[in-house]
Amino acid sequence: MEYQKYIEGRKAVITCKNVCKEFDIRDRKQAGSFRVIDDLSLSIYENEFVVLFGPGECGKTSAINILSGLDRPTAGSVFQGDTQITRPGIERGVVYQSIALFPWLTVMGNVEFGPKARGIDRTQSRKRAQELINLVGLQGFENAFPISLSGGMRQRVGIARAYANDPEVLFMDEPFGALDAQTRYMMEEEILRIYEHEKRTVVFVTNNIEEAVFLADRIILLKSCPTSVKQEYIIDLERPRSYTAPRFLEIRQKITRDMDKAL
Amino acid sequence: MADSEVDTRQREILVRVRDLTKRFDDLLVLDNISFNVYRHEFLCIVGPTGCGKTTFLNSLTRLYDITSGEILLDNEPVDLRKHNISYVFQEASAMPWLTVEDNIRFGLKIRKFSKDVADARVEDVIKLVNLQKFRNYYPAQLSIGMLQRVVIARAFATNPTLLLMDEPYGQLDIELRYMLEDELIAIWEKTRATVVFITHNIEEAVYLGQRILVLTNKPATIKREIVNDLPRPRNIADHKFVELRETVTQLIKWW
Amino acid sequence: MGNKTVNLIGKNSMRIVLTLLPIIGFLILWQLAAMFTSIGNLMPGPIQVIESLFISFAKPLGPHTIQMHALYSLKRVMVGYGSAVVTGIIFGVSLGLSKMFRALFRPLFELIRPIPTVAWIPISILWFGVDEMSKYFIVFYGAFANVALSVYMGIQRVDPVLVGAAKMLGCSERQLTFKVVLPSCIPYIFSGMQVALSAGIMSVVVAEMINSYEGIGWNIHAGQQTANMTQVLTGMVALAIFGLLMAAILRQVERRMCAWNTRNT
Repeated sequence: MEYQKYIEGRKAVITCKNVCKEFDIRDRKQAGSFRVIDDLSLSIYENEFVVLFGPGECGKTSAINILSGLDRPTAGSVFQGDTQITRPGIERGVVYQSIALFPWLTVMGNVEFGPKARGIDRTQSRKRAQELINLVGLQGFENAFPISLSGGMRQRVGIARAYANDPEVLFMDEPFGALDAQTRYMMEEEILRIYEHEKRTVVFVTNNIEEAVFLADRIILLKSCPTSVKQEYIIDLERPRSYTAPRFLEIRQKITRDMDKAL
Repeated sequence: MADSEVDTRQREILVRVRDLTKRFDDLLVLDNISFNVYRHEFLCIVGPTGCGKTTFLNSLTRLYDITSGEILLDNEPVDLRKHNISYVFQEASAMPWLTVEDNIRFGLKIRKFSKDVADARVEDVIKLVNLQKFRNYYPAQLSIGMLQRVVIARAFATNPTLLLMDEPYGQLDIELRYMLEDELIAIWEKTRATVVFITHNIEEAVYLGQRILVLTNKPATIKREIVNDLPRPRNIADHKFVELRETVTQLIKWW
Repeated sequence: MGNKTVNLIGKNSMRIVLTLLPIIGFLILWQLAAMFTSIGNLMPGPIQVIESLFISFAKPLGPHTIQMHALYSLKRVMVGYGSAVVTGIIFGVSLGLSKMFRALFRPLFELIRPIPTVAWIPISILWFGVDEMSKYFIVFYGAFANVALSVYMGIQRVDPVLVGAAKMLGCSERQLTFKVVLPSCIPYIFSGMQVALSAGIMSVVVAEMINSYEGIGWNIHAGQQTANMTQVLTGMVALAIFGLLMAAILRQVERRMCAWNTRNT
């Protein structure tokens, strides 16, 4: 089977077992809980580019929060290698849809934030930060504050910041969701370039099927809320991919047909 | 330059834009734009990021004063009180304190339609967007897709002479977008409204438009005018569709 | 190009004209009223007031010249307001960060806060005597709550995604306070300080009117006692200039410290 062949010889980096997540509802009328994730199990392998794709508001962000350790599951467990993930840690980096740069720090200050907080040697962390700023194409903007940058440039800083701690896995939670269509295309090419350069496992969340097929080695399709894995697809298209190649459009339409119709 | 094919069509001109120029202090945003919007057509405007598409719409509705040139609607300067123009923004801007039905009725009330006419109109459009069951819901209780339908219904309810849409589906996921786009086309075909639809998304423009205006980077001028007579429903994987999409992409690509 | 520059200058000078027009108009109306109506019997016109203001730079009003009065008031504001800013920030931060602290002190704070500054004057004289200390206290009281409340509000509005991002980047709880929570509160701290400054100036004038032998507030009070309206108005004009200067200085400090919060700086 295609999937078996794909995972052959690959080491699982993140293993998520039977995870459920419920949120308490505090309403004037009723008390209860709302189930967002229902028995989610999946594995993520070393150095692959995985896309979690699902309909809007299906619980993708909750899943990322649990996988990254920012939030605890109601039931089930998540492992990185052999250690259980129970809290935020520098072995995992996150890029956010809202970008979430520290507005009072410059580009350099933002990228250096992690290493500095951990007390890494200053000259060494500065050198690495500069390297990453160059990699994302922001040389010359080291001393600019986020407010003076465009959306695309800000997210480049967000990406560099996540890489600065040298995490084993990078989670990207709809990082281009707030950008317009064309900046998005450009950033998709950029993220692949960066991924090729700094080989890391990337878990990328999106609700845009075009983006999913363009980027992924493997797409995990999620059900609508409460979410779990619906289906997986190995995308074996050559890179660079064309958005309009017949095979591309075929895969895209197949996945679109398979996904839950949520309204 | 406009394709000659377009100019020779003997169609009724609804909006005539001549030598439209707009500058903010030192910044030239629109540079000498001239084109027509024909009655009953679905016109898409695409252009590079930040090329001034929104400025263009705001000039059309007179939210901004234009620096020079003229915009005529039915051979008269645009007057929001006199002309019936509807506007749909990117953010689904329904009034949170009104129910779905009252939101749709809102524009009709402002334009002082009689109660009977207003009731009939509301019934018509609420059926068109399939929200009959949700008429007494408040916006906060709706999903974003339903909310966007409320806004569309509100825009069509007054039977506008001209409907301007500024990236209404920019932030929606793709599945929902196609559904809403199909609905929009259905409503447009029924009401025969004139729609000017602005978007960054080239695929969306090719999917929707009868005619596509491609703008250049700032200061915006018209780079090409493309007639899109692909039959509906359109298929994104159809080779003619892909071809047209590639053409527009090549015209716009700036990175 | 030249065309545009002219255009810009035109816009700027237009704005200046629009700013000055009502002020000049008001002064002219006042002057005319003082000269030609019965108001002139009661109070002086602006020319006389400005003249008196200039004279008072050299010739003492009561015990001091006007600039010495202003310095007295300034000292009181600086001491009272300064300590209110420092303690207000600490109090607001504690209120925002510690549930324990909030449970202990929020009710007391809310209970005392509605009592107007003036109402504290008798008690402050009882506690601190008629000397400077009681005036510092009144200014402190007037300014403190404004600073504390804005800081508290700022802490509550820290973006939770930013806090999450900092945690993921390896921030400890302690670092979180100093590297994320406090910096993101800075705009709130400044807006609290601006409001507190007006409150502080108001308080110093009240304190000086009731219990003092110098300061701008005393000037106004003494003018009223001797039915010298010129002195009252001189004090008021001096206050306007005083408040304007202080606020402008604070705004400059804010602009320096919050460069990240404004475009193109």
